[in-house]
Amino acid sequence: MNDNNTMLEVKNLQKFFPIKSGFFGRVVGQVKAVDGVSFSIERGKTMGLVGESGCGKTTVGKTILRLNSKTGGEVYFNGKEIFGLGNAEMLKMRPHMQIIFQDPYSSLSPRLPVGEIIGEAVREHQIVPPNEFDDYVTRIMQACGLQEYHKDRYPHEFSGGQRQRICIARALALNPDFVVCDEPVSALDVSIQAQIINLLEDLQKEFNLAYLFISHDLSVVQHISDTVGVMYLGNLVEFANKDEIFSNPLHPYTKALFSAIPIPDPTVRRNRIILEGSIPSPANPPSGCKFHTRCTYAMERCKVEVPVQLDKGNGHMVACHLYDDNSGSEKQPETDEASFRAIGEQYDKANENKTESNPA
Amino acid sequence: MTENKTFHTDPDEVKDPNAIQPEIHLDDVQRVKVLSPTMLVLKRFLRNQLAILGLAILIFMFAFSFLGGLFSPYRQQQVFRKYELIPKEYAAAAINKDLRYIVQTGENFSGPSLAQFVLAKNKGEPVFSAGDRDYSYTEKGEDFYLISELKVLTDVIVLAGNGRFTPAAGVELTEDFQTAALEALKSSQTAFEYGDDEYFISRNGKMNTISVAHEIALATKLVFAAYEPEAQPLLNSLDFVEQAQLALINDADSFAVGGVLYRIVIDEDSAIIYRSQDDEDHPFASVSNIIVNPISPDIFLSVDFKRTLNEAIAEGKTTFTAVTQNGTEETFTINRVHETYTVYAQRTSQLIDMYAPPSNEHLLGTDGNGMDVLTRLMYGGRISLLVGFVVVFFEVILGVLIGGVAGFFGGIIDTILMRIVDLFNSIPFYPIVIILGSVMDTLKVNPYARIFILMTVLGLLGWTNIARVVRGQILSLREQDFMVATEATGIRISRRIFRHLVPNVMPLLIVQATLALGNIIIIEATLSFLGLGVKYPIASWGNIINAATNLHVMTSYWYVWIPAGILIVLTVLGFNFVGDGLRDAFDPKMKR
Ligand SMILES: Nc1ncnc2c1ncn2[C@@H]1O[C@H](COP(=O)(O)OP(=O)(O)O)[C@@H](O)[C@H]1O
Ligand code: SF4
Ligand SMILES: [Mg+2]
Repeated sequence: MNDNNTMLEVKNLQKFFPIKSGFFGRVVGQVKAVDGVSFSIERGKTMGLVGESGCGKTTVGKTILRLNSKTGGEVYFNGKEIFGLGNAEMLKMRPHMQIIFQDPYSSLSPRLPVGEIIGEAVREHQIVPPNEFDDYVTRIMQACGLQEYHKDRYPHEFSGGQRQRICIARALALNPDFVVCDEPVSALDVSIQAQIINLLEDLQKEFNLAYLFISHDLSVVQHISDTVGVMYLGNLVEFANKDEIFSNPLHPYTKALFSAIPIPDPTVRRNRIILEGSIPSPANPPSGCKFHTRCTYAMERCKVEVPVQLDKGNGHMVACHLYDDNSGSEKQPETDEASFRAIGEQYDKANENKTESNPA
Repeated sequence: MTENKTFHTDPDEVKDPNAIQPEIHLDDVQRVKVLSPTMLVLKRFLRNQLAILGLAILIFMFAFSFLGGLFSPYRQQQVFRKYELIPKEYAAAAINKDLRYIVQTGENFSGPSLAQFVLAKNKGEPVFSAGDRDYSYTEKGEDFYLISELKVLTDVIVLAGNGRFTPAAGVELTEDFQTAALEALKSSQTAFEYGDDEYFISRNGKMNTISVAHEIALATKLVFAAYEPEAQPLLNSLDFVEQAQLALINDADSFAVGGVLYRIVIDEDSAIIYRSQDDEDHPFASVSNIIVNPISPDIFLSVDFKRTLNEAIAEGKTTFTAVTQNGTEETFTINRVHETYTVYAQRTSQLIDMYAPPSNEHLLGTDGNGMDVLTRLMYGGRISLLVGFVVVFFEVILGVLIGGVAGFFGGIIDTILMRIVDLFNSIPFYPIVIILGSVMDTLKVNPYARIFILMTVLGLLGWTNIARVVRGQILSLREQDFMVATEATGIRISRRIFRHLVPNVMPLLIVQATLALGNIIIIEATLSFLGLGVKYPIASWGNIINAATNLHVMTSYWYVWIPAGILIVLTVLGFNFVGDGLRDAFDPKMKR
């Protein structure tokens, strides 16, 4: 907002889902799916968002597109608070911000032909004049690796990868500035994941897109992202640019997460941090630092005091009492740089193997 | 970035049409004919044998019900009749035990006079009186009495061989009569004859009263029957009967009345009187002791008939043959109860052709109202199917509206609407419709109006299921990513509902509606069976089976109710097969 280059700014976003029960659906509690998340994305850049399943990544993605209502906080898109827009204005805003879903099977209406799925909103928003409509849709489809004859087909005739291409084409056809990619490859075959990732990258360059790339596959995030956010139980626990966070993860949760990336090279050693216990319920999160139930560095303070975001320089934000200068803690979590350097190499190698085994 | 380089095996991959090649599956692209989801559903449906069977059943039922009525030669409420020979009362006969009285025309002999006669006869007194009249009777033969009224002519006092006559007013006495009377008085006779008349003397001290006897009636046990209806008046005349009786008593073979000669031929228990005319004898009357009367006044029983009947009775036969007044020979049966005999003639009469067994005219026979069962099944099918469709249509409209609104808008609207659904679900269905049925019975609601009321009530009580299903489906669809995508791409609400939501609710709705159809048909049949639904004279499958509530009909006339039962079972099965088939075709994953 302050910065001209900032496209999306999220401030202290909250999204609680009410838990209803009883005859008249009384609200008996709240699932704090997103509990105070702040970040920003620059034009044409990609932010990776990682975290365990259920930590609120999808909710963040949907809420910043106003596909959910919000509970608190603000979302500025191109300087406008989207929750402050009227219905008509919001409808006009829609094409600029799109989403690609995780499950390519449920994200396509089964009763419409592909051409209609992709073109429907184009016509609705008059992205192109009516006489150019057909050509435009064809062009978009081809840009996404689809053929013109696919227009008359129905989603059930396509494989998962092709469906994801259709989803991408649908989003892209509206000429968006920003696309939320909610685990766009996690439902696909490994061999096809690379194709989709490459497609997304190519499109980003071609159309100058900004991505919020949600994934729990750290290798992919490392490959595609400019900045990375790590979420735990509805909170953004760490945020930094990619190189910084992969070479110097600060938050104990981030460390644990990154240490789980498998390294095929036996010569490289790394201390694998095993997270004990399962992720607590977001309906009833632990007090203080929500991670304290599983954190190996947990202190008394962590159980009562909610850690605040600390800027450790270079826009590296972390929410942990360990980095609080007043904490008085001597304990510094050891970083294992060697292992993280290896991650990138390993990913590239693995990727090479994939594409080789599936020749284009 | 080096990473990008290695990631891309071919920089042009994406734009290259061949890039997609690795993703082409064996069953994809040009190899397989492109099928729209609708065609796919159809294809899957047609592959389901049970569904095809159900569809065939339903097509048959529709053709049977809606076209059958056009081809059936009969109308829905056409009553069939048959002609059958059944014994009908024709005549009654009895052996005459009572005296029959024939009264002189212009005279009156009845009531108290009759009673006094019977008393006097039983006591053996030759004279009797009733009121201020005096009567006398003479027994001329067995069970044959002549009854006369006595008229006072004169009082006589006999003094020393001379009689002093005091004639009644207006009576002139001749010398000769006075002499004859005195003669009789002197010899103490009670009666004497003078001229053609007989005179009676009654004494009271020295006072004698002379009266003249004047015939007014006769009593006999014989029965005279005329050969020709014209002869009947003569047979009721005192003169004729008296002469005929006297002749019979005296074994005379002829007698004359009014200058006509009648001959008598005795034949065992009866006699025939012939009228001689122009030297020819015509049968005129028959005499017997049996009374024969026709049952209805338009039947004339000929003497021949009566004589044959008499013989049959005498011989103790139970049937006889005789010629009727139309000149046709017929066989009659006699039924005896005590001393009376009833004669039955075989008469064809028109009867309602009830419970006729299957035949060429009535392939499934006729029912208890003499209506063609097959034809009623056709019309009944119309009603049953029509009720089903209208009710389901009604249910679908209500269900989609309420379920759709609840599911789409959610929140408090959903909560309120679903509580209304619960409310309707807790209405006890059968008690309500049974009460409604009896109320309509009491109010004598027109059978056609009844059907409409029935349909409305069934629809009002039945929409909740569809509403629930639609709501559930919409709630789950709303969460589906493709619905979220329509919102994300900024598509209008109306378009989201009608292009995306409705087509995806349709399959389930069609399945539900199909299954509901079978259900409604059963409910309608149940109600009509109980006499609370569709009512006679309108046919419905349910009220056709109602015949089976009569144990006799159930056991003896299977063809009246079994076919309706079979049709209901088949139709409901058909709807269920098709419904299940559609469900499997719409959603192959659901198949168990
Ligand atoms: N529509 C919803 N209603 C209620 N709870 C929800 C809803 N969507 C998500 N949640 C809850 O919010 C939490 C975060 O979910 P989600 O954002 O999908 O996590 P992620 O995408 O990181 O796996 C989960 O506990 C989930 O159960
Ligand atoms: S605040 Fe405490 S519990 Fe939370 S991550 Fe830091 S050290 Fe662990
Ligand atoms: Mg998710």
